[in-house]
Amino acid sequence: MTAQGTHIARRDPADVMRLKRLGSLHQCRLSFMRILTRRMAREGWAFSRPVFDIDGNGVGRAVYTAQGPERVYSLVAFAHDLPAELRSDRVIAEAWDATFTLFDGIPTAVDVDRLSQNVPLQEAGRVSESELSLSRANRSVRLWAHVVDALAEGRQPDPEQIDSVGYLMRTTAVYGSGKFGAADREVIADRDELQAPFQAEMLSVYLTRLFVRDLVQHMADAKGGDQAARLDPAIARRLGIGNSTGLGMAPFIVNHPVLFNNWIMAREEAIARVRGCQSATAAEIDTFLQILERSAVSVERWRSQHPIQIEKLAQLKADMETLRAHVGSDALREDAPWDRLVRWSETALSEEGQELVASLILEPYPDLVDGLSCCMADGNPGAFTIDGAMPVGEVRSLIRNSFDWALTLDWNAPENCARAWYVSEEKLEPRMGERFEEPIVDYEQPLAPARDAASAHKALEAYSDDQPVAQFLLRHPEHRHTIRRAQMSRVAPYGEIHDNTISASVLPIDMLRAKLSFFGATHFDPRSDRWVRICMYAGAPYPEDLTPDTADLWVYPEVAG
Amino acid sequence: MSYSLNEMEATAKRAARGAGYSWGLAEEAGKATRWLCAHGLEGEAALARLLEQGLANPADHAPQTLDGDWSGSGMLCPLTAGALVSDLAGRLQTGPIHMREVAVPIALLPFAASAARRLRSCVSVECDGLVAVTDGSDLSVPDGFPETAQHVTVRVGGSPASGCARKTRARPDPANWAVLNRFAHRTFAPATEESRLLGAGAGLSDND
Repeated sequence: MTAQGTHIARRDPADVMRLKRLGSLHQCRLSFMRILTRRMAREGWAFSRPVFDIDGNGVGRAVYTAQGPERVYSLVAFAHDLPAELRSDRVIAEAWDATFTLFDGIPTAVDVDRLSQNVPLQEAGRVSESELSLSRANRSVRLWAHVVDALAEGRQPDPEQIDSVGYLMRTTAVYGSGKFGAADREVIADRDELQAPFQAEMLSVYLTRLFVRDLVQHMADAKGGDQAARLDPAIARRLGIGNSTGLGMAPFIVNHPVLFNNWIMAREEAIARVRGCQSATAAEIDTFLQILERSAVSVERWRSQHPIQIEKLAQLKADMETLRAHVGSDALREDAPWDRLVRWSETALSEEGQELVASLILEPYPDLVDGLSCCMADGNPGAFTIDGAMPVGEVRSLIRNSFDWALTLDWNAPENCARAWYVSEEKLEPRMGERFEEPIVDYEQPLAPARDAASAHKALEAYSDDQPVAQFLLRHPEHRHTIRRAQMSRVAPYGEIHDNTISASVLPIDMLRAKLSFFGATHFDPRSDRWVRICMYAGAPYPEDLTPDTADLWVYPEVAG
Repeated sequence: MSYSLNEMEATAKRAARGAGYSWGLAEEAGKATRWLCAHGLEGEAALARLLEQGLANPADHAPQTLDGDWSGSGMLCPLTAGALVSDLAGRLQTGPIHMREVAVPIALLPFAASAARRLRSCVSVECDGLVAVTDGSDLSVPDGFPETAQHVTVRVGGSPASGCARKTRARPDPANWAVLNRFAHRTFAPATEESRLLGAGAGLSDND
């Protein structure tokens, strides 16, 4: 039995919301992929493949359906024969190895024909309110060829090569929520199974992984004929779906402060609850130690060529050794063991290690943690509305809560405002440029809340504490977005990044990682300071193996032997 | 063609920004346009007409003072004035807000709805004798709402008679949609080879 008692406060946003820490977050029980697989297993979802019409060159279409208790969703997939020179992860690409949409229901042949005219075009096509997502994927050239060739020759692929890449295809964009004509989030937000964030997108990727497994077998069969081998299910299970994520995700977390707050706050609340446990049972300690060992395997398989991540990984591997030695003693048998462990980690481990500990201690406590998943969507549209009657003094204090550190910074110093975020007319892609070297200032997006807060705070000096802020807004509409954010912080204490998002040293990959960690991604592999590759669903059960026993801890590899 | 309301909101926000509104008011313009479209009204047409009048400069088109009747040195912009109605919703409990010379007054309605939600009561918008009423969710609006209004009164009270049917899609007239996109385009930086390579961070190979 878990002894509950001590109240532990959630961690301070001033610590949690630093970019370096956000760039060290790991998946946890509240990750969107795990929320989905737990639900599908619990509710006994049924899966089928009514269409698989793909030729020997790998060109054609397929439909996969997922039947839940109330509704059915279908992945409609189009497979293409892509010339190698056209293959690019970048958003500016115009052709892909495979393209997808998640259909709301079961598509008719007419629907699939309509989609075949649009989905392969991605941003240049249109989908409708019957579609919930639009996405595409490219092959991992190396691993795809290796797996097809090996199976065609009647042998299994080399596990070493499987682990070195981790996936056969990687998605390069998964659009949802009304993009390119798809259904708005509001259309589906009230459905139980899609209430948590990004569940439609996570379902589309889960089904995409199934399609990719079938497609690689199909290609091997076509090439090898009767001598082709069946892909070993254990190897198939280790394969995830890769994903390349670019700058577009970084503005997302700035532009959705309440939503992002809800993700961070749910995890922080979970951490605080577990830290509040007075003691841990032998079973709870055992669960933690087992997951820790499995997590160590995942860390060992994590590869990156990027200098920043190489260094962080070296620290994390050292952290794992330190952590295992620490918990190998009787540390977890003392009172308040998880609080002690978190406090110890703050003195002994890097931020990667500290955040791994914070995620891992949640694992033995599904009853304390999993229910928080229903608090992660943004169901508070009223937070957008400004209260113009709020006294200026209160607004000032809200700004200082989030941005005290920013008020004294010299925002004119080149190193503090070296970058500017803008949207390129090419595919409307968010980009970050050099303010003093490129002609982009006229197009700057409001993605520097700290600078804008300092500027509004300065302008507010001319107003007395008891004046209503509406008087200020009448004369200063240019600060309206900042006043809105300041008021939002009352319900979203974790809604603001406590760092400079336009400094010369900002790393957008930190923002990408924060978001992707909540998806449940692993093996972050930055490819520059502003795009990152990850792996999704590696280790997850395919539909035929999806049960309550397999639905949750798949993210941690089994320990060999 | 049918567009998602999300697309409508995003385009309206960019268009308002492109027409010179602050980011905060552009956000409001996006939400307001979306709200009108969700209530079956031609929100994009209203915004297109408004943006073409060029009323973004607050010096001329915001209320000169919040005391007494609201009027500007030029026509009042309904985005600027509407946002202030929402900001000052509480003031409606002590009496109506009167405005003079308001452009495209139908664009005030989403802000009246915001005020109604904050006050948890109905809010009426009377434009030169025609009265629209919203409880924050439902809206009733008479035919022939004027292009500009000499007198507008926003007050607590009324009840939406037969609410507008809700829509989950927008079907803008192509000409109005083109106007919004023309303004929105002003917010996009021209693509350069440098930005293509550096702005999104090329880095290591993306075809392996």
